[in-house]
Amino acid sequence: MSERTLTDLATAVKEYDGENAAQLAQQALDEGTEPIVVLDALTACIREVGDAFGAGDLFLPELVGAADAMETAMPIVVAALKAAGGSRTSAGKVVAGTVAGDIHNIGKSIFCTLLTADGFEVIDLGIDVGVDKFIATIKEEEPDVVAMSALLTITAQEQQNVIAALESAGLRDDLKVIVGGGAISQRFAESIGADGYSPTAPGGVTLVKELLA
Amino acid sequence: MLDGFTRSFPPLEMLTPEEMESIHRGALYVLEKTGMGITHPAALKQLADAGCSVDVESGRVRFPAWLVEDCMRKVPTHFRLRARNPEQDLMVGGDTFYFMQGMGMQYLELDTWETRPATGAEHRDAMIVADALPNVHLAEAWEIYTDRRGIPPVMVMLENLANGIRYSTKAQVAGNIQDTEIFGIMMAQAIGIDLFPEIEHASPLTIHDGGVNAAYRYMDAAMPICPALGVAMGAQGPATIAGSIVLQVAETMGWAVLTQAYRPGAPIAIHHGAGALDMRTGIDIWGGPAVSVSTTMMNQMLRRYGIPIWSNAGFASDSKKIDFQAGFEKSTGALMAALSGGHLQLFQGGSSTELLFSPELMVMDDDVAGWIGRILQGARITEETLAVDVINEIGPIPGHYLGHGHTREFWNKEDYFMAVADHEPYSAWLTTGKKDMLSRATEKVEEILATHKPAPLSDAEWEAVDDALSEARNHYRSKGVISDADWSDYMDELKLEEGEHLARA
Repeated sequence: MSERTLTDLATAVKEYDGENAAQLAQQALDEGTEPIVVLDALTACIREVGDAFGAGDLFLPELVGAADAMETAMPIVVAALKAAGGSRTSAGKVVAGTVAGDIHNIGKSIFCTLLTADGFEVIDLGIDVGVDKFIATIKEEEPDVVAMSALLTITAQEQQNVIAALESAGLRDDLKVIVGGGAISQRFAESIGADGYSPTAPGGVTLVKELLA
Repeated sequence: MLDGFTRSFPPLEMLTPEEMESIHRGALYVLEKTGMGITHPAALKQLADAGCSVDVESGRVRFPAWLVEDCMRKVPTHFRLRARNPEQDLMVGGDTFYFMQGMGMQYLELDTWETRPATGAEHRDAMIVADALPNVHLAEAWEIYTDRRGIPPVMVMLENLANGIRYSTKAQVAGNIQDTEIFGIMMAQAIGIDLFPEIEHASPLTIHDGGVNAAYRYMDAAMPICPALGVAMGAQGPATIAGSIVLQVAETMGWAVLTQAYRPGAPIAIHHGAGALDMRTGIDIWGGPAVSVSTTMMNQMLRRYGIPIWSNAGFASDSKKIDFQAGFEKSTGALMAALSGGHLQLFQGGSSTELLFSPELMVMDDDVAGWIGRILQGARITEETLAVDVINEIGPIPGHYLGHGHTREFWNKEDYFMAVADHEPYSAWLTTGKKDMLSRATEKVEEILATHKPAPLSDAEWEAVDDALSEARNHYRSKGVISDADWSDYMDELKLEEGEHLARA
């Protein structure tokens, strides 16, 4: 086990170098470091970046760059962890997506990055995500939280359709549903039966933590 | 036809010819090498037939330069927009600048500065004020109060548009969501007006099926269309202004090919805007100077191509209040858009990015619109206005100009006299309640609502709007887009509104 490799891994993430981070993660595993230790190193590093963002010392381009670098290395570590019979532990698992008909990506992407930086496992389904895709992913991944974004008032309705489908599939009680985006309100969130609402990405992270506390 | 404001001098330019060429070539290269993400089956076939390289599997369309340049030339430099009152038709293009009011999702409470969903009556009143204001040339009914109490989201565009048609005789903007344009076009055709639709576009380099469907439908109805490009620099576009212009020019070119391949000569305008992203919060900064610079440059590029322009700078401030920040961010942005040769300006009444709309702010902004319009008109230089003979005649003090016929002829033609800005002598201001511009605007809104009666629709026209609304309501209910619970709330809200609305007579 090489402490030096793990230090270099953290440095690669902080220098936004995903390729190097992936190589160093593999190297750490090859050197015999336990997958869970490599995972912890990655998580600690991204938390540090996230804290610096929260304190106003780093900005979104740095945060997203570091999170992307971490995500490049992550599959290697998770695969090793599974092969060793372990599983990834995290602060929680979140499936996120912008609902069907809505193509706004940025707010949801920032939310996902902030969650990652806070130690959550995030499955980002992207934009224009239909009900079926939400349901299929939720069945497969069994997340703690499903987060839906809608920037347009008009597409906000689609969030209700996903909640209805969750109920029909008998999945609703197993997870928390949160909605976000500039187009909706607390009142709207309550009216469609969501567990929480946030108009902003950082508020969304706080909400997830509160719901899982 | 409404004259709007005619710019009487060359537009402000920031780019050299060489820089414009670099942007042009850069955009052509992006379209040829990377292309755009388009998945609409009919569009893919049409674009392939026109000469694009189409990968159906990945939904990627690459555009050859010859085709782009050919289609850019086919876009008309002008188009006419028919209003309910023909005297309020617009001729968009050239050196004419028009203002439109809007946008903003929620109603602003002036006593708490908090926002909330608007009622139908508040939307109607906003349209009446817009109808009355002299510098609102185009009524943007659908994008004010997109958060309407009790109205299912899918119906907001149509309910707002119906109010716009009923309570304003000015030309109307529309949108496209979940095929609602079908019913919007029905309404417009029944009344004999055009709609000016803002078509959803997704940067970077993506046109979604809904946008293509709406573009085709509006073009089939012989209406102009306006793809809405919007780039947050560093997020949906490059972090540099130059890069954001290359991206937006490439997207403009993509839309030119898509529309001209479908219907050569179809009129389009490009709604554009690129602003910085606040990298601490992820919020777009629409009031910053970057928007003004990018708007000026993009306007210069679109003028090169002869494509009509809807520019974004000044459409909203980032301020949550009607305050100094709102005033300077909106005014400077709109002034830069006007000086650099834009044609349509979203302006009066919206702020806090897209969150709020306020009739009081609309009245204040209308003063600014008149002020900008007056600047655009410059000063006429003629023998008469040069007044050399008059200056010789009056001579030195004790000579003065107050009693001269030349003054009587010209004094009220050279400046713009604002309706609610404060120009009172200090002594009078002290004795009339020390009112600021917002207090005067609040009074003005009350005065307009008490006195202004927009020309009504005929009974047959009113029924036609009602019929289109009913058909849409039933359509979306039968498709399950409006749930039973929402339907019940919706019907209750409509009953409530019926009581509040103006008597049809």
